[in-house]
Amino acid sequence: MTDDTADVPTADLTGAPLPTADTLRKRQSLPLQAYRFAAFSGRIMRMVLKGHH
Amino acid sequence: MADVVILGAGVAGHTAALHLSRLLPRGHTVTVVSPNSQWNWIPSNIWVGVGTMGKEEVVFPLAPVYARKGIRFLQAKAVAIRPEGDEQSERGAVDITVTGPDGHGEDDRIRYDYLVNATGPQLRFGMTEGLGPDHGNTVSVCTADHAVHAASELEQQIEAMRSGAERTFVVGMGHGTCTCEGAAFEYVFNVDHELRTAGVRDRARVIYLTNEAALGDFGVDGMTFEENGFQTSSELWTASLFRERGVEAILGAHVHRVEPGRVHYETLDGRLHELEFDFGMLLPPFGGVPLHAYARDGSDITDAMFAPNGFMRVDADYTAKPYGDWSGDDWPRTYLAPGYDNVFAVGIAFAPPHQISQPRASPNGTVITPAPPRTGMPSGVMGKTVALTIVDRITHGKDHPAREASMARMGAACVASAGTGMRTGSAASMTMMPVVPDYSRYPTGRDLADTKGELGLSGHWMKLMLHHMFLHKAKGRPGWQFIPE
Repeated sequence: MTDDTADVPTADLTGAPLPTADTLRKRQSLPLQAYRFAAFSGRIMRMVLKGHH
Repeated sequence: MADVVILGAGVAGHTAALHLSRLLPRGHTVTVVSPNSQWNWIPSNIWVGVGTMGKEEVVFPLAPVYARKGIRFLQAKAVAIRPEGDEQSERGAVDITVTGPDGHGEDDRIRYDYLVNATGPQLRFGMTEGLGPDHGNTVSVCTADHAVHAASELEQQIEAMRSGAERTFVVGMGHGTCTCEGAAFEYVFNVDHELRTAGVRDRARVIYLTNEAALGDFGVDGMTFEENGFQTSSELWTASLFRERGVEAILGAHVHRVEPGRVHYETLDGRLHELEFDFGMLLPPFGGVPLHAYARDGSDITDAMFAPNGFMRVDADYTAKPYGDWSGDDWPRTYLAPGYDNVFAVGIAFAPPHQISQPRASPNGTVITPAPPRTGMPSGVMGKTVALTIVDRITHGKDHPAREASMARMGAACVASAGTGMRTGSAASMTMMPVVPDYSRYPTGRDLADTKGELGLSGHWMKLMLHHMFLHKAKGRPGWQFIPE
């Protein structure tokens, strides 16, 4: 085994896309998130109906 | 008249018990054996663990619910199964030891016509030296009491930071074979959120330490999403959140031991590392709850009924095969134990045929691969499915075909909280169909129309709604049966 205890390698995340200010705003927008809530609920129900029994 | 015995009162066992009590004609009995007196909505433990929810909001006593539903409740732990009966009777039996206040420590043997093993996980903190809140140096959110302790420790760190101290937080998996990466993911972002709320985030280094080889694996080999006309990966999607929130990630890690304030771990490249921390929440690996099994003549058949990790063998294909040959057809459909048409294992208690994530090991031979998740929605579906099979067989005859619910055919929703607050909260909401990828049916392993991920405030509302819905369902309140598993 290689003992490399001095080093704590963390993942390089610089290639991951950062959300824009507009995206962050949309993620907290009450009207848009209310719509997304309804859409996600619908997706779960569709999956339940398709995938269970 | 038939007697149904259910071992365990978690999501799978409790769901099975409620449906059996609803659907079985009068005269048949349903008995639940659980060492715990309370039901715990475990997905909300992460909120208890950061102090934004009280323990009393995630647990309730089982006895009143079972009394109301006509279910017999034995607060006891099962220690042995006798699927062929014993010298007194050929009916199957379970040996139990009472854990409740009445008759604590007494042994008993109860008979069954149908048995459901839904014993859940044994939390194997002992697999990693120094892991866990009881005899180790880390906290946990696996139980409500663990989470209360974690919240107290977190509050102490936040108080110190308010006085100017700097702190390192490490959250993740305490062993290379852990499962439930989603829970650690939720906890690290809830810690991040609470540090921001307290105004001390700039004095904290927050690190997610995981056995996943890539972010977004979640023990299901990651997911592919379709977004704006492109296919993207859960890895990129998850990494974006880590970068945005300034949470560092250590990937492909197996924790060897935890000393006070220092975690020793190995990464997939075989190197050993140390990380100093002030607050550590590392989840334990799961094993099956230890049960013995005996044939009618008293001979030990434990090895035949259970895998070495303690999970019960069911109708899966356990043939060892390379990753490239894995198939959705390997996964169980009926959850019947081989050789017995009246013994089932569901939820975490059944032995999966293999991982879902690609198996990996370091050059030193250390296995660093997430175990397959089988909690939450799939657990509830399995519990209901075996309940329906039992009802069919009791009402239509023992040869009635068993119902099926393969994880390679069912979907799952996962709402991973990233912070609380009706206006400031957020969560990563994911759906996947199926849970076990099937590359023979879908090029990306899953149906892209039903495999989605999104981040936002609505996810927090969704997780909060699910919290209240599933507590309502678990309490058997009016209309509970219309809430899907």
